[in-house]
Amino acid sequence: MEVLAHLATGFIALFQKGGSVFTGLVTGIIPTLVVLITAVNSVIGMIGEEKVNKIAQLCTGNIILRYTLFPVIAVFFLTNPICYSFGRFLPEKYKPAFQDASISFVHPITGLFPHANSAELFVWMGISQGITQLGLPLGELAVRYFITGVIVILIRGIVTEKATLYMFKKNGIEV
Amino acid sequence: MFKTVRIDRGPAGFGGPLVITPTEQRNKVVCVTGGGFHPVALKLAELTGCELVDGFKTGCPDDQIAVVVVDCGGTARCGVYPKKRIPTINVMPVGKSGPLAQYITEDIYVSDVKVENISLSDGSAPAPAPSAAPAQAARPAAATAPAEKGNFLARFGKAAGKVVGIFFQAGRNTIDITIKSILPFMAFVSMIIGIILESGIGNIIANFVSPYAGSLPGLLVISVICSLPILSPMLGPGAVIAQVVGVLLGVEIGAGHIPPSYALPALFAINPQVGCDFLPVGLSLAEAEPQTIEIGVPTILMTRLVTGPLSVVIAYFMGIGLF
Repeated sequence: MEVLAHLATGFIALFQKGGSVFTGLVTGIIPTLVVLITAVNSVIGMIGEEKVNKIAQLCTGNIILRYTLFPVIAVFFLTNPICYSFGRFLPEKYKPAFQDASISFVHPITGLFPHANSAELFVWMGISQGITQLGLPLGELAVRYFITGVIVILIRGIVTEKATLYMFKKNGIEV
Repeated sequence: MFKTVRIDRGPAGFGGPLVITPTEQRNKVVCVTGGGFHPVALKLAELTGCELVDGFKTGCPDDQIAVVVVDCGGTARCGVYPKKRIPTINVMPVGKSGPLAQYITEDIYVSDVKVENISLSDGSAPAPAPSAAPAQAARPAAATAPAEKGNFLARFGKAAGKVVGIFFQAGRNTIDITIKSILPFMAFVSMIIGIILESGIGNIIANFVSPYAGSLPGLLVISVICSLPILSPMLGPGAVIAQVVGVLLGVEIGAGHIPPSYALPALFAINPQVGCDFLPVGLSLAEAEPQTIEIGVPTILMTRLVTGPLSVVIAYFMGIGLF
């Protein structure tokens, strides 16, 4: 009987711990998150999609902007997964590279702007929880995650663009 | 003669497209927007040849309405007409909401409609000659509303209402995503963390994973495995794998098994497969040709083998001096 009681206590303890983690997440993260996401959604609603489209199209000509500012605007304003529709502003040969760049940015952006991919927050939050637990500040990590993300998508964009052009040529497709 | 029109939803809209053909019986476009006729209602009347009715000034029997135009922020009007199965056009970006949300369905309701979302349904541009007469028929009706722009107070009220509508919709979207996505994932994550911390599995993971995740070569190995073109599309969906591994590493960082300076490179090491499952869908969202998708998808998968580990190295150097 004592063994059973001991087992039951241990079993319940698993979920009590989980419950306290859940309380921590809900009270610690959700209130700020809800207000932040509402604020950003409002700003996006006020600016309107048409203006964003116009500004974004200015960035498509230059190879650097095409894989930095352009996907950042797409992910920030249109959020995952509608952001990929911005690819329609590009010629066919650049579409795969833009796809690679924009989809690679949907997690680095969440450290600063969780609204952009709120269904997949725990890539960032999982790891940042550990940092919080150590009592270290998150701000700089979030900023560096964002900046590193921009550098990485630029490289992915350029590499994939060159590779796509090569593959197009190899398959005898006009570019 | 009445003409058939097609109404598509706007960029932030819901529902539709509606195709509306007025009949002798149902021959009125009812505008319930306040402050005169909305341009969308004017355009509808012009294209269809229907009579335009200001719903705020004159009533109209339900069985005579071909289509109704509203500017409802999400409580009443947007649900009332769909409930009566009258085709409803909302000029505000409102989806299924309000107490009558259950009646707001895509076959009867379309929102965030602007003038350019309305077209003749045969796909051609509106022919000027035949539509000129109905247009003139519509204009006098419009002219009888003397304050088409409304006085200062009315305009101010409308502008304020629009801004409040945007805020309210933003809040509603946020709560929706919180309930539908964020909270369920938190429940899932809490369960995993609870079991790991209490059961002692944490120690096993610490012994097995931490040596990899706590060094640059180890992280590179993880990123190479995750970016293998055979594996990456399977690891991608919903970023669930990346999120679970992120949580595991977070627990280990919190417990002191992995130094915090590895947080930044780890964020990239667990995620070189990002979106690899989604590439064809994403490319079709970008309106890419089938040929581009056929070539583009394997190209991205291959370049990830290079850019995946490379991102870890970049993040490693970007993280220097952080903690």
